[in-house]
Amino acid sequence: MLHRDRIPRLWVFLQAVLVVALGFSDMALGFSDMETGPGGAGVSVQQPNGDRFKIEGRAVVPGVKTQDWVSSARIFVEGEEFVGFVRTDGSFAVNDVPSGSYVVEVITPNYRFEPVRVDITSKGKMRARLVNYIKTSEVIRQPYPLQIRANGPQTYFMKRETWGWTDFLMNPMVMMMVLPLLIIVLLPKVVNTNDPEMRKEMEQSMNMLNPNPELPDVSELMTKLFSGGSKPSSKAITSKGTRPAVKRR
Amino acid sequence: MAKLIWLCLNFVILCSTAGAVFEDQVGKFDWRQQYVGKVIFSNFDAQSQSSKKVIVATENNVFASLNIRTGELFWRHVDAIGPEGKIDALLHHGQDALLVVGDGRLLRSWEINIGGLNWEIVLDSGSFQSACLIGQQDIVKHVAVLKKTAISLHYLSNGHQKWIENLPESETVDYQSVYSGGNGEVYVLGIVPHSHIAIVVYSLDDGEIIRQFSVEAPWLSNIQASCAVIGEGMLTCADSATVSLYMLDLESQTEMSQIPLQSLGLEVTPGFQPVLRSTQPNAARPPLSEFFLQVGPEQHLLLQLNDGQIVTLRDFNPALLVSFATTGEKTIAAVMSPKNTTACTVNLFSAETGRRLLDTTLIFPLDPNGGKPEELYVQAFLKKDDSVGYRVMVQTEDHTLTFIQQPGRVMWTREEALSDVVTMEMVDLPLTGTQAELEGEFGKKADGLFSMVLKRLSSQLILLQAWISHLWKLFYDARKPRSQVKNEVTIENLSRDEFNLQKMMVMVTASGKLFGIDSKTGTIVWRHYLDNIPANAAFKLMVQRTTAHFPHPPQCTLLIKDKDTGLATLHVFNPIFGKKSHVTPPAMPQPILQSLMLPVMDQDYAKVLLLVDDQYKVSAFPSTKNVLQQLQEIASTIFFYLVDSSQGRLSGYRLRTDLSTELIWEVVVPTEVQKIVSVKGKRPNEHVHSQGRVMGDRSVLYKYLNPNLLAVVTESTDTHPERSFMGILLIDGVTGRIIHEAVQRKAKGPVHIVHSENWVVYEYWSTKSRRNEFSVIELYEGTELYNSTVFSSLDRPHAPQVLQQSYIFPSSISTMEATLTEKGITSRHLLIGLPSGGILSLPKMFLDPRRPEIVTEQSREENLIPYAPELLIRSEWFINYNQTVTRVRGIYTAPSGLESTCLVVAYGLDIYQTRVYPSKQFDVLKDDYDYMLISSVLLALFFATMISKRLAEVKLLNRAWR
Repeated sequence: MLHRDRIPRLWVFLQAVLVVALGFSDMALGFSDMETGPGGAGVSVQQPNGDRFKIEGRAVVPGVKTQDWVSSARIFVEGEEFVGFVRTDGSFAVNDVPSGSYVVEVITPNYRFEPVRVDITSKGKMRARLVNYIKTSEVIRQPYPLQIRANGPQTYFMKRETWGWTDFLMNPMVMMMVLPLLIIVLLPKVVNTNDPEMRKEMEQSMNMLNPNPELPDVSELMTKLFSGGSKPSSKAITSKGTRPAVKRR
Repeated sequence: MAKLIWLCLNFVILCSTAGAVFEDQVGKFDWRQQYVGKVIFSNFDAQSQSSKKVIVATENNVFASLNIRTGELFWRHVDAIGPEGKIDALLHHGQDALLVVGDGRLLRSWEINIGGLNWEIVLDSGSFQSACLIGQQDIVKHVAVLKKTAISLHYLSNGHQKWIENLPESETVDYQSVYSGGNGEVYVLGIVPHSHIAIVVYSLDDGEIIRQFSVEAPWLSNIQASCAVIGEGMLTCADSATVSLYMLDLESQTEMSQIPLQSLGLEVTPGFQPVLRSTQPNAARPPLSEFFLQVGPEQHLLLQLNDGQIVTLRDFNPALLVSFATTGEKTIAAVMSPKNTTACTVNLFSAETGRRLLDTTLIFPLDPNGGKPEELYVQAFLKKDDSVGYRVMVQTEDHTLTFIQQPGRVMWTREEALSDVVTMEMVDLPLTGTQAELEGEFGKKADGLFSMVLKRLSSQLILLQAWISHLWKLFYDARKPRSQVKNEVTIENLSRDEFNLQKMMVMVTASGKLFGIDSKTGTIVWRHYLDNIPANAAFKLMVQRTTAHFPHPPQCTLLIKDKDTGLATLHVFNPIFGKKSHVTPPAMPQPILQSLMLPVMDQDYAKVLLLVDDQYKVSAFPSTKNVLQQLQEIASTIFFYLVDSSQGRLSGYRLRTDLSTELIWEVVVPTEVQKIVSVKGKRPNEHVHSQGRVMGDRSVLYKYLNPNLLAVVTESTDTHPERSFMGILLIDGVTGRIIHEAVQRKAKGPVHIVHSENWVVYEYWSTKSRRNEFSVIELYEGTELYNSTVFSSLDRPHAPQVLQQSYIFPSSISTMEATLTEKGITSRHLLIGLPSGGILSLPKMFLDPRRPEIVTEQSREENLIPYAPELLIRSEWFINYNQTVTRVRGIYTAPSGLESTCLVVAYGLDIYQTRVYPSKQFDVLKDDYDYMLISSVLLALFFATMISKRLAEVKLLNRAWR
């Protein structure tokens, strides 16, 4: 009982250590971000009376006329915070955006666009880069004004499993059934079983195939394990239960 | 390498477990309804006679085009929520529609045929006052936008600014209106309240001030409300104090002439502010000299200005609504007047003469469960014989749009109240009469063997009869062509299906209109408008009695609370028929703090609703003797909590037997530092099937399943990105014990949270990394359960183990909910509404704090996915494919009769209903189940055995002969 009580406490302690460590690494990351960011663009502070800027670009769906998709398209800057619309020629502009760093997305129900991160300095300098949520400071430049090209229609649907003869025949289960059948039918015709020498050879090979009688059976192992686990009062089991927990940490 | 293979394998497994839609399932059990909201501006596309468009701009910052034949959307543009996207004005010219958006911040021009943006320009700052189209020599080329301090003129073709001028004396003069009669001059009308009108006339060409003068008008306070320009530049104002019209010729700049209404033989209803309504069919020409004057709530006059004299053309009394419409060169006046209690009539009159046009009566049916007509939009068109035909769109108080053709055919109605659903419930449909009969058989007391046999036989006969009639109907329908077979959904033929997949959706909207919608087809079965709902009401909908207690009717209770005063009223109704119940709800003179539904039922199987008022006194509804007695017995086990977010106080109370309360615990969150944002308990109808999780070493990790657990989210008052934080508290609602507390630094809201089973999932914005993050907390009792039979908050000595993990989510989210099934066996998914309109079904196994960083044998056996910091959004996981739900505000989940199936309704601007199968359809045959294959295999096997049997017999016979 005492033994088990101590474990959660240890757990919490370890977790705390982990959190602290993580916090440190995060902090380090944050600082490096600040250094690489272009002149304060890394911070999305909304200045109350600061200048407002315009994010411009063009969205293209290859092979589709713009008038077929622009009426259902919107431009989202940082979620729904700033909304823009697409002109009939595919270009767009989002007005009144304060300086900061934003993810710009083209939202259409039918086509897939990659989001782009746009950094705006307090002086209004713009920079576009790939969105990377894990390494937030990584800069892979993208053209600005934005050129966003759809990479194909959205695939919302799963394919149905279709049934064909080839699928059926190539199924491993079917193969496993058919091959032995073939062997059973064909082998006696090929090999003369009445030959005593041959028979001896076959018996030997059969013995080879037979599993080692001393090796424990998998199913047996399972039943042992389960019957053992169901005994609640056994002390050995509890220690068994906690040991992996210790290891996990 | 092995790890890589394992990852791949896992991926394959996950793909197969996660729910997805197959292409052939589109529209099979899901539907979407799109709305626009309450219309504020509307214009019929009048550029050609065959046009079938009406463009609308709404309170919800939506600009859309509707098909007038069907009422469906051609296209719709949804702008940002709030004042940034507010539509201030809609002007329509030819193929283009001009919108002034965001208090005069943006001017947009839309191409209305395809719904694309022509251009958008940013206007100078300043609050918007008015806008109008400016024409010259019959061509409209410009638009004028009047701001508080400046007026600017823009070209219609590209939005470029022609000129901008500051208004003189804008500190003292309140400029309100802009007008142009098409003569190259732009009039700006301003007012110094209770002193004088200031008029500035600009030249259209270069923006120079041509004239500037002021006229005494000490009685006038608002130009837009009480004035209109009529005829050749005659500014006309109505004043209720002196009961007269004032007129001013804008060109000759003389004094205002007063025309007492009495001299025209008119009277004004005392206390009514007369309203003027003029029409300017073409922006390049002056307005018509005919205008409407409303002198009472139900009295309108058609007047004409003739050589400076006002002539009464016609007196409409009673008339609810009036409107002008122009087609070609003809202008007509449409007048709606009440006919009887169930209908109104609309008649057309010639604007020039006031004569009634023949055969133009149109009947508008009044919905007894709807609101009064509020606005009349008229589309006039010329028929082949040069007479005027028309259609009307009527907007009523409950935000319904009804489109009517002569002589009274309702083409379509749009229930725009549904664009603002506040809360909803799903109620099981009742059994059919025959089914209820059968059920009743078991309920009755046995009379004896013989009568019971008789009863059984008779009910079986009834069943047989129902089945035969069903067969007959099938046969009958099969002979008819498919297009003619209409499955009209009415209350009569609504009944519960085998798996309880069809339910009644009871939706409460912000306007106070209630709807009953069939979940299978989306048909509105009933509607009920509650008038006198306060503007900022909060609603809570509760199901007091389900349909399971035949013959008692089901009963829903809606608590309507005025947020300012705290006073509440109850509306009790039948959720299947929408009718108000005859049960009289109690009067509640005190503000209500909290309401709670007890599992206790009265003798009529209605669950008891407890209401706590601001004196901490509790009242019960229904409050029969039976209920009070039951309450006294169990009072000591009833606990409730109150949240006061303004003072940051969370307090727990216990009920006493005399229905007073006592404070048991109190948690105070200091309001200077942080504020309580949301408090979430668990859903009462949630079932948890498995008590624990089997781990890799075959031991069981038991879940901490505390039904009284509350998750409290706090946000820091400091919003600076370096210092802001959010906190989460897990509090036991009975004892007030804090189970867990966590603070997330450099994080801010909005926080979305789901609390279920033994886990809490929340999402927040990380200000440091500028990304959205998910965090999951799971609570476990450990490997041994303290008391496995019953959970008591008062007797749980051990604190639970708390596991937590966080992930990056590559999108912001709008709302979040967890799936819910009948018995809780099916694995859970999180349904996440994204701003893009997609509804993502994310398996809960991705949000599992036990996801290991290093894969071990045991974690593999437990089917734990290795930890990855980023959660992926796969487009196959969108349960609503391309049927996006714009501005999704809530997701409602309900269990169905099938364990595998969860019913989902997402609501926002649109409503979307579907089913999800978090663990696939394990309890019914799949849609694509190949009946052909299985039957052909069976048949083949059957014949094979027959043949081989025959062959074997022949062989045996042959052998015997040998």
